[in-house]
Amino acid sequence: MSLPGTPTTSPTPMDEDIEQTVSINSEPKRVKVYVLENNEWKDTGTGFCVGEVDESKFAYLVVSDEDSPNETLLKSKLEGNIEYQRQEETLIVWKDLAGKDIALSFEESMGCDALCEFIVHVQRNIESNISLVTVKSSDNGLGSVHDIITGPVTLPSNDPEQNGQTLLEALKILNENTSFDFLKNETIEFILQSNYVDTLISHFHNAEEEKIPKDLFLLSNIIKTLILYNQRDILESMVEDDRIMGIVGILEYDTEYPTSKANHRKYLESRGPNFKEVIPLENEDLKIIMKKCFRLQFLKDVVLVRFLDDHNFSLISEIVMDLETCIIDFLQVGTFLDRLIVLYDTNTLPDSSSEREKFVQKRKDGIRLLQQCVQMSISLDALDRSKFYKTLVRKGLFKVLDYAFHMETDSNVRILATDTIITIIEHDILLIHNVQNEDSFKQQHKLAPDDKCSSRNNAQDYSYSTDSKLLLILSTILLSDKSPGLREQVVQALNTLLHPEGCLGNNEGSCDLMGRCSNESKDTSEDFPSFGYGLNSDSINLNNYHYNNDDMNDLDATESEFKFQVKEYFANFYNRIAPILFEPLIKRENIPKMSERSGKIKKTRKDDLLLIHLVKLVSFVCTEHDRVLSRRFILENGILDSVSKLINSNHILQLRLTAVRCIKNIICLDDKYYHRYMISKNLYSPIFKLLQENIDKNNLANSCIQDFFRIIITECRVHQGDNHNRGEDGNGTHNISINIAKVKSNSNRTNFTILNKYLVQTYGNVLRKATYIPFIQDMLEIGEENQPEHSSFENSLEGDTDSVNISSDGLTSNHLEDIDVKNVKRLHSEIEHFGDDPHYSSDKLAFKKSVDQMNAST
Amino acid sequence: MTDLDKIIASLREGKHIPEETVFKLCLNSQELLMNEGNVTHVDTPVTICGDIHGQLHDLLTLFEKSGGVEKTRYIFLGDFVDRGFYSLESFLLLLCYKLRYPDRITLIRGNHETRQITKVYGFYDEVVRKYGSSNVWRYCCEVFDYLSLGAIINNSIFCVHGGLSPDMTTVDEIRTIDRKQEVPHEGAMCDLLWSDPEDVDTWSLSPRGAGFLFGKREVDQFLEKNGVELIARAHQLVMEGYKEMFDGGLVTVWSAPNYCYRCGNVAAVLKIDDDLNREYTIFEAVQAQNEVGNAIIPTKKSQMDYFL
Repeated sequence: MSLPGTPTTSPTPMDEDIEQTVSINSEPKRVKVYVLENNEWKDTGTGFCVGEVDESKFAYLVVSDEDSPNETLLKSKLEGNIEYQRQEETLIVWKDLAGKDIALSFEESMGCDALCEFIVHVQRNIESNISLVTVKSSDNGLGSVHDIITGPVTLPSNDPEQNGQTLLEALKILNENTSFDFLKNETIEFILQSNYVDTLISHFHNAEEEKIPKDLFLLSNIIKTLILYNQRDILESMVEDDRIMGIVGILEYDTEYPTSKANHRKYLESRGPNFKEVIPLENEDLKIIMKKCFRLQFLKDVVLVRFLDDHNFSLISEIVMDLETCIIDFLQVGTFLDRLIVLYDTNTLPDSSSEREKFVQKRKDGIRLLQQCVQMSISLDALDRSKFYKTLVRKGLFKVLDYAFHMETDSNVRILATDTIITIIEHDILLIHNVQNEDSFKQQHKLAPDDKCSSRNNAQDYSYSTDSKLLLILSTILLSDKSPGLREQVVQALNTLLHPEGCLGNNEGSCDLMGRCSNESKDTSEDFPSFGYGLNSDSINLNNYHYNNDDMNDLDATESEFKFQVKEYFANFYNRIAPILFEPLIKRENIPKMSERSGKIKKTRKDDLLLIHLVKLVSFVCTEHDRVLSRRFILENGILDSVSKLINSNHILQLRLTAVRCIKNIICLDDKYYHRYMISKNLYSPIFKLLQENIDKNNLANSCIQDFFRIIITECRVHQGDNHNRGEDGNGTHNISINIAKVKSNSNRTNFTILNKYLVQTYGNVLRKATYIPFIQDMLEIGEENQPEHSSFENSLEGDTDSVNISSDGLTSNHLEDIDVKNVKRLHSEIEHFGDDPHYSSDKLAFKKSVDQMNAST
Repeated sequence: MTDLDKIIASLREGKHIPEETVFKLCLNSQELLMNEGNVTHVDTPVTICGDIHGQLHDLLTLFEKSGGVEKTRYIFLGDFVDRGFYSLESFLLLLCYKLRYPDRITLIRGNHETRQITKVYGFYDEVVRKYGSSNVWRYCCEVFDYLSLGAIINNSIFCVHGGLSPDMTTVDEIRTIDRKQEVPHEGAMCDLLWSDPEDVDTWSLSPRGAGFLFGKREVDQFLEKNGVELIARAHQLVMEGYKEMFDGGLVTVWSAPNYCYRCGNVAAVLKIDDDLNREYTIFEAVQAQNEVGNAIIPTKKSQMDYFL
């Protein structure tokens, strides 16, 4: 043992296996021996080299002459602190204690390997102060790279008596030892095998008691240095029960804040190890893992937050993730989840009121617990996540959600329940549906007679209703709960549930399934021309929404089954959910029953906040869903009329502008039915009132309307082949669209030119006041041009008799190609997409549309 | 003392603000911000400030060193949140000042004021730690959508977070953007928040994956076309706090000292007087203090209850 303050040298494991030395006396290797004389390497002969250990345990490199084996060319003792250098593949070079430079040049690298092994063996077992390093020329050919293969390792003193001197020395050594892998690994071995960390912790307690700041800061730096070794076992050992307090205690001191001290220990004592056990955990191992996990996160997020580098951070995250995977696995094995979910059985409420109160609190905590588990699962890999969620659903997650949404009144708890459901559906929107289906299958076939499905009374009910049940619950919450946070979450959940691409999961190539559905279901689209904008419809005929699936025979069964499910799902949404969800926007005169109720709804700011969400949802369903399906619902219920009314000044500006954006998104669909509807119903009028209010102001309302004009004029320019105003745009991205536009320039009556003409004719007086807007002049010019009535391009569309007249405002509509606009969408600005959504700039929009038109007309 | 003043005092001390209060603040801020243009007009004298990144205590130092909001007009060039541990308090403090002194504070949107970025770089996490749910984050993100995209001082100095866009080269064009949206991945609105000046001959790809690199030529063209003499922007760490480029036609201002609590840089603000003279004030990070003046160590709040 060394004295305090003196670094111990090489306590490398002394492996006592002397027998091994014999085996090291290996086959002779052919070698040339050189010595350095007068700065020149002199060849002293060729022979065979062996490593030898004699009876008195002295080790030698011995070369005997190849011509006369009894003659020794070299016998060099491995001793003292000789450094052997292996240069490239076949050379070993060293200076012996007498100062003589010797080099062995091996015939083959295998020979060199064998003797290097011998040197390593001798270092480890006999002469611990010799070393072997390799020298290789670096990759760029300049200079060389050194690496230590073996040698003495300086390690910190592990003497129980520590002081400023030993600590300073230790810090220096620990830092230096990071420079070579060999030294680093030996040091790690030392830390793990010895009780060094405990020695530090015990000195920490002394130093704190005796108030020796220097030692405290040194200890903190030593621990940080050990953390920088970025070694999993070291990190895990630091958070063990008997060390964690010492470690975070030491880390309360930070040289960057020499006059302060953090209070991590206090925090851990008061909260850390005391987990709230809603359901007692039976598994002790699991408890240990949870503690470890919690402590590592605490280190990562709080104690070391300003200190960790990217490597440390990702290593700790990785360990935490492994532990979390473990926890989630454990939870699924035992009865834990069953015991949790049974809390939400309706008939388990205790009799006494105090017990009942406790029980209600327990139910709240249970939801928190579930949310935390589901939150934890986010970092797991996809398969593990699916497995866990399926287990949850099978065990009866819906019972918990039912409780949260029907019995629980605390918005904060409802928020957590919604969060849970969002996490699951965002991971796999069909998961709940599939698990439920699987249940119903089992029930039908009596495969699981003991499967208690107490929450579902009616087997027939959930063949279609599990998803819509969720939609219904969410819709009701959105309309009734006033908590703004919950509303936002619910809207996010609805967006996910109602996203057609989400429903299709990762099924490659079927992203446009909803779009294809509409093209393939010819029956439905041919029905459409007779459809009269809902003005005369009394109620929605449910049967009309059922799709014809004749054309699915050529698809394989799974896909068509899947496709069918998606169709059913959306048809069901429009039949059952949408009328409830969008009730506040449904035109009153169509639904007399509602108008009575609506009288009671006060026009308050809170209602406006709800309406903002609903209007965004309208934008969303119009742009994302199957056009025929959504348009029918929107138009039959006069939704756009309501949206347009919301632009009026009796609403908060946020809502008014949201409504303008909804109208903008719908015109971007370039859908002739919407375009004609909005013109015929004069739905643009409130936009111009809003413009008049803000005509000379530099504000958001003004910009929002400028954007509306920009959309129209950009589209008109494309269709007019009018490119002379676009020279300023500079980066040439318009060329393609312009060329195509020229091809199409004869068909100058498009939705947008009609709209522009209509706006200029109807609101020209307002527009003329706003000529400071860069493109208003263009709008006026294009709008005032005399357009040939019944223009010639009608002829180009022979055979199509789908012509619709809008006579109410004197506009004669030409019929237009039913262009495939499913891909033409604008980023509807107010719908929050949390994933990546393709963003179509107006250039791309124009380009795509032109291409689509060409395709349609050829 | 009004309610607002009380909230300001609490925020300065880093105290917890109830969720309902945050909601109200955010809603009121929306109304105020909607009245501003995409490029809002500001008069001299004014002090231009760069990235803050949730370093509340350094923000307090900034106000202290530059006159304080009671006496001085400020433009903040965005990136109020993420990285530091007090994103929420920093952003809310600025909103409160905005509500309290509407004509004395102009807030411009930075590339970190978006849902996607804040989910990754700390603000989201911070809110969940402090409130146990993401609601407050959602309210703030809604306000982000209403922030202006730029400002123009005396029709002479154009202020923006990132830089220029090849798609829109005049202030009038920028006015045609409907800015109330999550920052898109491309296009003018994205570029204004993401681009960087660089020694390049023309518009070039940005290593950031969003926005462009632009050079002296683009800056000169912009200055001439819009009749302005300076572009003031932030977005890039400058060890010295500020850096002028392109013969003084552009300046980067950085206002987060010792960025991320470890970069060792100083911070700067730029004061523009009535004659458009530029005066830089440099400041360093100081030790944070709690409400009773004791030094504290900036750190994240540990998570709320742990149920497992």
